[in-house]
Amino acid sequence: MLNDLRYRLHALSRRDRMEAELDEELRFHVECETEKYCRAGMSEEEAQRRARIAFGGHEQMKEDVREARGTSLLEQSWQDARYALRKLRKNPGFTTVAALTLALGIGASTAAFSLADAVLLQPLPYSHASRDVMVWGETPVGSFYGNVDLPFAAQEYQLYAGMQQAFQTIGVFRKKSFNLTGTSEPELQEGVEVSAGFFPALGGSAQLGRTITAQDDQAGHEHVAVLSHWLWQTHYHGDRNIVGKTVDVNGSPTTIIGVMPVSFVFPDGAGMPAGLDLPRRTAMWVPIALPPGAVGSNDMGLIGELKAGVTWAQLKQDLARYDARFIEQHPRAKGYWSRAVPLTEQAVTDTRLPLLLWMGAVLVVLLIACSNVAGLTLNRSVGRRKEFTLRGALGARRTRLMRQLTIENLLLASLGGGFGLLVAEASLWTVKRFGPATLPRLEDASLNFAVAAFALVITLGTGLFFGLTPAVGATRMNLAEALREGGQRSIGSVTAPRIRNGLLVLQVALAMVLVVAAGLLLRTFYDMLHTDAGFDATHVVTFELPLPASAQYADTNRMAQVYSEVLDRLAEIPAVQSAGFASVVPMGGETDSTIIRIPGRPATRQADAPGANYQFVSPGFFPAMGTPLEEGRDVAASDVLTAQRVTIVNRTMANLYWPGQDPVGKQVGVGMVKIPLRTIIGVVADTKQASLREPPSPEMYVPFTQNEIRTWPSMQTMQYALRLRGDDSGIAAAVRRAVDAVDPDLPVARFTRLRMMVDASMTADRFALLLLSGFGLLALVLAAVGMYGVIAYSVLQRTAEIGVRMALGAGRGDILGMVLRQGGVLALTGIGIGLLAAWMTTRLMTSFLYGVKAADPATFAAVAVLLLAVALAACIVPARRAMGVDPMVALRTE
Amino acid sequence: MPPSSDLMQGTLDMLILKSIALKPQHGWAIAQRIQQISKDVLQIGQGSLYPALHRLEYKGWIRAQWGASENNRRARYYALTAAGRKQLEAELENWERLTGAVNLVLKASY
Repeated sequence: MLNDLRYRLHALSRRDRMEAELDEELRFHVECETEKYCRAGMSEEEAQRRARIAFGGHEQMKEDVREARGTSLLEQSWQDARYALRKLRKNPGFTTVAALTLALGIGASTAAFSLADAVLLQPLPYSHASRDVMVWGETPVGSFYGNVDLPFAAQEYQLYAGMQQAFQTIGVFRKKSFNLTGTSEPELQEGVEVSAGFFPALGGSAQLGRTITAQDDQAGHEHVAVLSHWLWQTHYHGDRNIVGKTVDVNGSPTTIIGVMPVSFVFPDGAGMPAGLDLPRRTAMWVPIALPPGAVGSNDMGLIGELKAGVTWAQLKQDLARYDARFIEQHPRAKGYWSRAVPLTEQAVTDTRLPLLLWMGAVLVVLLIACSNVAGLTLNRSVGRRKEFTLRGALGARRTRLMRQLTIENLLLASLGGGFGLLVAEASLWTVKRFGPATLPRLEDASLNFAVAAFALVITLGTGLFFGLTPAVGATRMNLAEALREGGQRSIGSVTAPRIRNGLLVLQVALAMVLVVAAGLLLRTFYDMLHTDAGFDATHVVTFELPLPASAQYADTNRMAQVYSEVLDRLAEIPAVQSAGFASVVPMGGETDSTIIRIPGRPATRQADAPGANYQFVSPGFFPAMGTPLEEGRDVAASDVLTAQRVTIVNRTMANLYWPGQDPVGKQVGVGMVKIPLRTIIGVVADTKQASLREPPSPEMYVPFTQNEIRTWPSMQTMQYALRLRGDDSGIAAAVRRAVDAVDPDLPVARFTRLRMMVDASMTADRFALLLLSGFGLLALVLAAVGMYGVIAYSVLQRTAEIGVRMALGAGRGDILGMVLRQGGVLALTGIGIGLLAAWMTTRLMTSFLYGVKAADPATFAAVAVLLLAVALAACIVPARRAMGVDPMVALRTE
Repeated sequence: MPPSSDLMQGTLDMLILKSIALKPQHGWAIAQRIQQISKDVLQIGQGSLYPALHRLEYKGWIRAQWGASENNRRARYYALTAAGRKQLEAELENWERLTGAVNLVLKASY
C-alpha cells in the first residue's frame, strides 16, 4: 500500500522523464521490428511501414501504460484543466458572459449572506446577552394600545424590582437629552439614564474607568457619566485621561467615570417597540436615580439577566405574580399582562423578515444566473459534439470526456466565484454607504471565513449544477450518426433542447416573480409619495430647542415663556412667513399619548378606554406647517390657564369619537378625573406623524400656555417649524441669532428642511425599491438573452425545414408566425408558472406594501404583458433571420 | 495486430515472468521469445505487452533498468524481483492444478 503510494508519487514527480523513457522504449521496439522485416527481405520503407502497422496506435498504448501506472486520474485532470483553460481563452465572448453572470449571482448571494450573518447569526456583543431578557407591558387586544409593547413606568418597575425572583439583576433605561455646554457651541446629544442594574445585566464592562454602580444611582451622586466610544473619539479626541474630568452637562458639572468599548452600543433602537422613545445612537449613560415611590409615565425599558437555572415557564410565573399584584393595586388595569422577550430576539425583530426576504430574492437571482450559464454551456457543448465524437473515435472513453467537461465547468465556476467575491465586496460597500441606517450591526458585515466558505459551496454547487446536465447530454455519442450528419445540423439527442427549454421556462418564471415584487414596491413608493401628508413641506425648516435641565428652566411657566420669546424673535426674521412650534412636528418622532375621557360616555375598563395622542402647540404652528384648519379656530395667545381650557382635535379623532356630529364645543379630557375637561375649539386635517405609511391616529393639540398637569407631557424640548417666503440660505444663522438673543446657551438641534425629514423617512423604502428593481431588471435581461439564444439556435437547426416549407408555399408571414409561436409558447408557460409562484410568494411582502395588496391583479397583469412583450421582442431578430431564408440555399445545404 | 489466441491477463503476466526468470530481457525480446517458443501460436500484441510490463513493474514483481542492447542501442531491461519470483512460483502451481483438473475431466470417459 505504501509502496503503491510511493510509486504513484514517484511517477508524478518524474513524469516528464518517464514519458521520455517510455517514448524511447517504444521507439526501440519499432526499430527492432523494422530490422526483423528487413532481415526477412523487405525494403527499408516497406519494413518500416509494416512495423508501424503491427505496432498499433502509439497514443492509445501510452494511454494504457499510463493507466497501468495508476497516475492517470491526476495526470488527466491536470491535462483537462490546462485544456479547459485554453478553450476558455479561445472563446473570450462566452467566457466573459458566463463568468460575469456567475459573478453577479454569486457575489450578490455572498453579500446578502454576509449581512444575514452579521445581523442574525453572530452573537450580540454583550457578554450576558444569551441570558438577557426584556419585559414589556401588554394590553388586551382591541384596546387603544392593543398589540403594542408598552414600556414600564417608574412605579411599575419599583414594584416588580421589589418582588421579582427570576432575575439575577434587572435595570431600567430611559432616553435623556444632554445639553453639553462649555465648549464652542452648546450641543445636544442623546443618551439614556440607567439604573444600577443596567450594566451588570448586560455584562458590559468599561474600556476605561468603570460603569454605573448602585453607589452612583442615588440622589446626590448622580452627576456622573459614562461615555460611548464614538463620543469619546469625536468630542474628546480619544483623550486617555478623560476619566475623572468634569464636563458641563445640562448645566451641572458632571464627572466622567468611564468609557465603553466600541462594541457596546446598547440601546441603539434596534428592534425596540415604537412606544419606547430611544436615541438612535446612545452618546452617554448617566444614573437615573429614581427616588423611592417614584411615579411616572410608561417610558422606561426594562432589561434583566435571568438567574442561572430559571426556565422560561418559571419566568412567566414570576411575571404573572407581578401582574396579579399590580392589578390588585390598580383595579382599572385589569387585563394588562407582562411579556418577556429574549434580548437576542428583540434585537432582530424588525430585521429578520426583511433579511430573509432579501436572501430569497438574491437566491432567485442566483438561480437565474445559473440557469442562464447552464443554457450557454449546453449550447456550446452541443455544438462541440463533433469534437467529442472524433475524440471518441481516437480512443477517448466517455467518462474521460465527461470528466473533462465537468472540470471545464468547475473552472468557469471558480472564475465566476473569484469575481463574485469582488462583486460581494462592492455590494457590501454600497449597502453600507447608501443603505438605510435601520439595519443594525451593518458595520459588522464583512467577508469573513464563514461567508467565504458559503461562497465556495455556492460556486461549486453552481458549477456542478450547470456542468453535469450538459455533460451528460453532449457526450451521448453515436459515432456513425454524428459523423454522418455533417454541418450544423448535428441534432441527434432530443434531450438537449428539452433541457434548454426547461431552463428558459424556469428563467422566465423567476424573472416574473422578481419583477412583480419590484412592481408592487414601485406602486407602494408612488402611493407613499403622493399620499396626502396633511402638511405642505415646501420651504419649511424645522429644528428642536431643548431646554437644559437646570435651575433656570425648572418651572414650566418659565419654559413656556422662553419658547414664546424665541417664537416672537423668529417671527421677526424677514424671511419667515409664519412660525410656530409643537411638542413634535410631523416626521419628527413619536408623540405622547394618553387615555381620554369623554363626558356622557359610559365608564369603561382602562383596557377598553378611548385614547389619543396628546401634545402642545403654539399659535401659528398649523399655518406654518400648511395644515388646514377645517373647523373652528386655531389656539391663540389668549388661551392661558386663567381662561377656558381648550383643545384642537384632528379629523380622525373627530370621526372616531363624534361621528356625524360637529365636535366643536364638545368636551374631552385626559383620563385622570381630577384634571378638568377641555373644550374643543377647532378641527385640523389629519397629518402623517411618524411616517408616510401609517394611517393617522387621533390627535389632541393643547395650547402650550395651558399646561396644568405640569409633569406631563414634557416641555423640556419643543420642535419649531418655520415657513419661509422663499429659499433662504442664511436662515440657519438667523435662527441662531434669534435664539442667542434669548439665551446663548440654548442649543439649536436638528436644524433641517422638512422636505429632507420626509425623504429620510422613506430611505428604507427607496433603497428596497432600487435594489429590487435592479434585480428585476437583471432578471428580465437574462431571460431575454436566454430566449434569444434558444430561438436563434432553434432557427439555425430548422433552416432546412424552413426552406422546405417556403418551397411548399409558406409565406414569410407564416414563418414569422411559426417562430413567434415557438417563443410565445415557452414564454407563456414561464409566465404562467411565474404568476403562480409570484402569487404564493408576494404575500410574504405584505408588511412592506402600502396602498396596494400583495396579490394586486393590475400589477400581475402588467408584468405578465411586459414579460411577454420582452420575450417576443427577443424573438424578433431570429424570426427575421428565419424569414430571410432562401429556400434554394437552405435545401441545397441539406 | 490482435493476438491470434486470446490470452487472459493473468496468463500473460505469468508468461512474461517466466521468460525473464533466467535472465533480464527487454520488451521486444520478451515478445519474440514467447512467440518463438510457442511456435507462433502465442503472439503478444504490443498493445498488451507494454501495459502489462508496466503493470508488473507497478506491482513490484519486476524491476526495470536501462542497458545496452545487442547492437549497442539503449533499451529497457526487465528483471525478476524476489517478490516476482515468489509470484511466479505461485502462479505456476495454480496453472498446474487448473490444467490438471481440466485434463482429468476431459480425459474421463462417460
